[in-house]
Amino acid sequence: MADFGVGVPDEIARLSLGQGSAPQDTLPPSIRSEGIAVVDITAKFSDAVKTLEPGAIVKDGFFTLFDSVAALEIMDPKMDSGCSTTEAEVEHLYDVSKSLLPEEVLGIIDQLLCHEMSWHLGYPLSQTLFTSFYVEALSTPDPRSIQEATFIRDGGHDPNEQPMLQVLRAYCLGMLKSCGYVNERIKSEHYYEEEDFVTNTYNRTLLASLPTDAIRDVIIEAIAALKSQRGSISDNLVDALLLRLELRHIFLDAVECPKHMKEPDMAKKPWREGLAILPALKKSHSLASPVDEAFSAKLQRKLASTMPPRPIVQLDFDVAFGHLKSLFEDGLELIDVLHYTDSQCLLTFVSTFQAKKPQPIVYVRTLLQTFLFDAMEVLGSMSIRQLLDDDFAILTMPAHQYLDRLNDEVEAVQDPRYAMAQQMELFRTRAAQPFLDILRTTCQNRCRVRRTLCHLLRDWESLQVDAEEIDQILQVKVKEQPTMHWSSMGSGGVESYSLPLSSWTYLYKLRQMEQIIQLGFELEIYQADELAGMYWYLNYISKSRLHHTERIKSFVIKRVEETHGQPGNPDPLIGTQLQRSLMYTRLSLLDAAVTWELSDSLSCLYTVLNRLKLIKAPPRPYSTDELRYEIRMRPFAPVGLPVLPTFEEFTAGTLQPDTEIDELFEYAERAVEGAKRGFEALSKMTAEESFSVGSHQRWAAATKNGLKSCIATKIAISAVAKAVERSKDLDNLKIKVEIPTPEKAYHESWIVPKIVPLA
Amino acid sequence: MDKDEAHEYISSLLNQSLRVYTTDGRMFRGTFKCTDPDRNIVLGNTHEYRQPSEEERSAAAANASGSSTILDMTSRYLGLIVVPGHHIVKMEAEQFLSQIKTQSA
Repeated sequence: MADFGVGVPDEIARLSLGQGSAPQDTLPPSIRSEGIAVVDITAKFSDAVKTLEPGAIVKDGFFTLFDSVAALEIMDPKMDSGCSTTEAEVEHLYDVSKSLLPEEVLGIIDQLLCHEMSWHLGYPLSQTLFTSFYVEALSTPDPRSIQEATFIRDGGHDPNEQPMLQVLRAYCLGMLKSCGYVNERIKSEHYYEEEDFVTNTYNRTLLASLPTDAIRDVIIEAIAALKSQRGSISDNLVDALLLRLELRHIFLDAVECPKHMKEPDMAKKPWREGLAILPALKKSHSLASPVDEAFSAKLQRKLASTMPPRPIVQLDFDVAFGHLKSLFEDGLELIDVLHYTDSQCLLTFVSTFQAKKPQPIVYVRTLLQTFLFDAMEVLGSMSIRQLLDDDFAILTMPAHQYLDRLNDEVEAVQDPRYAMAQQMELFRTRAAQPFLDILRTTCQNRCRVRRTLCHLLRDWESLQVDAEEIDQILQVKVKEQPTMHWSSMGSGGVESYSLPLSSWTYLYKLRQMEQIIQLGFELEIYQADELAGMYWYLNYISKSRLHHTERIKSFVIKRVEETHGQPGNPDPLIGTQLQRSLMYTRLSLLDAAVTWELSDSLSCLYTVLNRLKLIKAPPRPYSTDELRYEIRMRPFAPVGLPVLPTFEEFTAGTLQPDTEIDELFEYAERAVEGAKRGFEALSKMTAEESFSVGSHQRWAAATKNGLKSCIATKIAISAVAKAVERSKDLDNLKIKVEIPTPEKAYHESWIVPKIVPLA
Repeated sequence: MDKDEAHEYISSLLNQSLRVYTTDGRMFRGTFKCTDPDRNIVLGNTHEYRQPSEEERSAAAANASGSSTILDMTSRYLGLIVVPGHHIVKMEAEQFLSQIKTQSA
């Protein structure tokens, strides 16, 4: 996908070591070697450097300033993890072979669980799991076989001698192995190091060389051994430990779920089982007694890292458990993506899934990417062509001759169908990347979604140029007859062609522009006094989308009429495709309309609040309105159509200087009333009608929140209107405006002000 | 040593393997990249070597049959490092025995 500034993260990545498994050349060379003599040069060297001028350096020609910045300063306690002022030797801080009480094992396991979740949340392994002495003992040196993976190596110890240590060992092995899977999964997909997740394993392999089945066996053995202890250990404790071992077993199945991509029910099984045991697991946490000595930040100095030592991350068990639970819930929900209905349902699924609050953690997001794109196949079974053709058919080309698979068979060059096959293939190769990037982008963290969409917009802009060209070539080849097209403004007929490919592209482009603006609200990019302007711009874009959808609709209707006019028995498939397109245009029209009207209303309301000085602009000594406008519109500047409003138009639209306050209230009220009706109609739609099969619940909830936002807007408008009516002095209205944060608003992209009376 | 000679000597060491011992008893072995008048030293591809602890030494001595034992120093990879001049106690250069012989011959 488009990753701008590729070079920079690369350079930064090089600063930390141990990406991937241990590179061979970093194995420590033996310091005793037959052919090498060591010469003491201390005195000679010291004399030599004394002759250097102050500030002079002697350096290798390839050594650069950038390199020197990356160098680790030895003996600096903040950078050098090996430098210890006390002579405490890490290895002897804790004895991993000592016998443990069951409640202590439970305690350590729950501490490990907290660390595992902290890692999922984005902390490095060095500050989480790798601070455990048990993990350290199991992972260094890298065990080559399951027999070798014990806390104490080559001491002739039987790892199963003490049942409690056996349980802990099985738990740790299962945990490390699943962490290895998680790490590989995340690394193989698109994510952002430093923002989402640290994949650095500090040259540890996370048991990559041990087969998963061997680890499963160890867990099963430990479960059996634990069950045999029932008499000597209290049942509660045995049950608690059993649950944790089971969780590890289930977790291993869960991280392997992508291999069941073709059987969603199989893939769902571990997630469902995990969810079933989680409540009991939480309850038994009270039995645990934590063993803090079993963890130490000092273990970091054994890791291959230039990172300065950092403190252990302490995550509360309840918080960690909450994340674990949502990991399983999201994982289960995610599998539903495999039930493919059509491309639009898929888009709805992905976007509503990622818009969940809180957003699913990075592992779940990368898992979704795997399902979507693994091995150049969508959802494990579809080609990208199928997906694209499906989407063309829904949006602009229902049962269209361009999409006829038989076109590929035509070999006669002068046949228009030959040109169709050629040109469509050309367009598909151009469109595939931008289209898939929409899906991939949605899987990133929210800030990145907006940022990447801004870049993606340029790709769509250039795709539109291609689309227009191909449209024209094809419309000549197939001798398409223009239709008289009546615009909704009623300004007379215009001769127009259907232009299905550029229409398709343009619709996506407009949707992305809206999304960028709406994510701006969600991510709190705009100041309170800018809201009027940004809602005005959103209104401007959604108006364009509405008009564009109307144009598409007129051509879909034309296709419907043509088909009905044809004699003979029509293919039932054509009927369903046409029906589906009509349904989609209806949804798209309504969606564009509610966006238009609600943003219109909010824009008017904020204009009034700005004019009444209820919202005050913060002091901006170095900024002007024009400069800020330029910044806000920068993502949209490269877009040719819709034309970017000039600053003057924007100011006029935002301030509406010629409109009285009463009129503004009237407009706002009328618009919000329309939006409300639109949302009501939307919320009555079925999953099929709203193209949200598989994610209807989430979609409906978002729509409901939109409706609530309308109601809140109505209340706010009438509160301000009443205050203005009551008071003679517009400078003293006895009300105050509170702008909620996006989490507090009913809907993240509809920031409705709250009007509070002043006592 | 005059200036030019000194500069030449230091330059001749560039990209050679050096062993730098620090005040805390560790040894760093890496490729010599850069130095300055304060004897701060930059080494590339460095490994850190640490002496075995007291306990390990006594344990090894107890197990040993003869009068002396050989213990490996524990090591890890660090990459590019800078050792401040005032922390350096000893520096050694590695040379191939074969080359020394041919030089003297």
